[in-house]
Amino acid sequence: MKRMFFNGKKKKKEPMDLDITSLLDVLVILLVFLLKSYNASNLKLNLVKDLVVPNSAARTLGEHAVIVQVDKNKRLFVNNKPIGLITRSGESPILMEALKSIKESSDIAEVKAAKRVNLVFDEEIPYNVMKGVMHTSAMVGYTEFKFIVRGNY
Amino acid sequence: MRRKIAKTQKLNLIPILDAIFIFIFFLLMSAQFIDIYQIGSDAPITSTTNNKMEKEPLNLTLVLKGENISVKTGLDEKLYKTYSLAQLPELNQALIELKKQNPKESSAIFKPAHNFQYNKIVKVIDNTREIMDPNVYITALDEKNRKYPSKKLFDKIIFETQD
Repeated sequence: MKRMFFNGKKKKKEPMDLDITSLLDVLVILLVFLLKSYNASNLKLNLVKDLVVPNSAARTLGEHAVIVQVDKNKRLFVNNKPIGLITRSGESPILMEALKSIKESSDIAEVKAAKRVNLVFDEEIPYNVMKGVMHTSAMVGYTEFKFIVRGNY
Repeated sequence: MRRKIAKTQKLNLIPILDAIFIFIFFLLMSAQFIDIYQIGSDAPITSTTNNKMEKEPLNLTLVLKGENISVKTGLDEKLYKTYSLAQLPELNQALIELKKQNPKESSAIFKPAHNFQYNKIVKVIDNTREIMDPNVYITALDEKNRKYPSKKLFDKIIFETQD
């Protein structure tokens, strides 16, 4: 018994080899997938509930600007904040107020002079609603409309 | 004499794994899982200057009503052709012909009916802005009148926002 403990030299423990081949495979697949879905656009869009963006063949990347969203129940959102419902005729004094306040409350000259507005409409929205939003935006000074669409393959 | 067995050298993968992990986190944070693009359109601007035009403008107008698309041209909005929504490839073909005849024109005016749905408008816009057939190109002219192949048709979309 004594021999067992004190006689022999202690064996050095060899570091355990971890097989990371499968982990590397997964990482490479994930990397390829993420690179493929990477979008260089600086527009960060959080779609509101009940809004389906139509498909399009357009391939121009979106740019950062004020975002006006209208869902299928004709609820209006400016920069993701609900501001109310759009009227049947498409006219919207609340939208005008919201857009004006964005321009007026900012001290940044670029925001005050901004002309671009990102319009995100549900695919079932009729033209009179679109027209009302475009007309109101143009009245406030947002004359460059950018319709946000989804790329189709 | 004994031969020493050459030990296979192991590759140190730790730095590359670190880099891949950082890259994956960056991509995951910036990922947007729906591909979002934009279609540009400007509010119509009226001009009061009376410049003499060399040629009558094309004034391409698309009237969208019910299931029909009426293509009109000229200042008097003369009816060129009418298509149904199921005939979008034919509309695209007709617009290719119009573009060939008017290579310097790039605007199209849209006049949809009040109840015309947005997704249908987008489909018509797609067929108005560019050639949908991947193998077809047209000859376009740049600012110095040099020819180059292009897929662009009438990419400046203007909506009629006032009655």
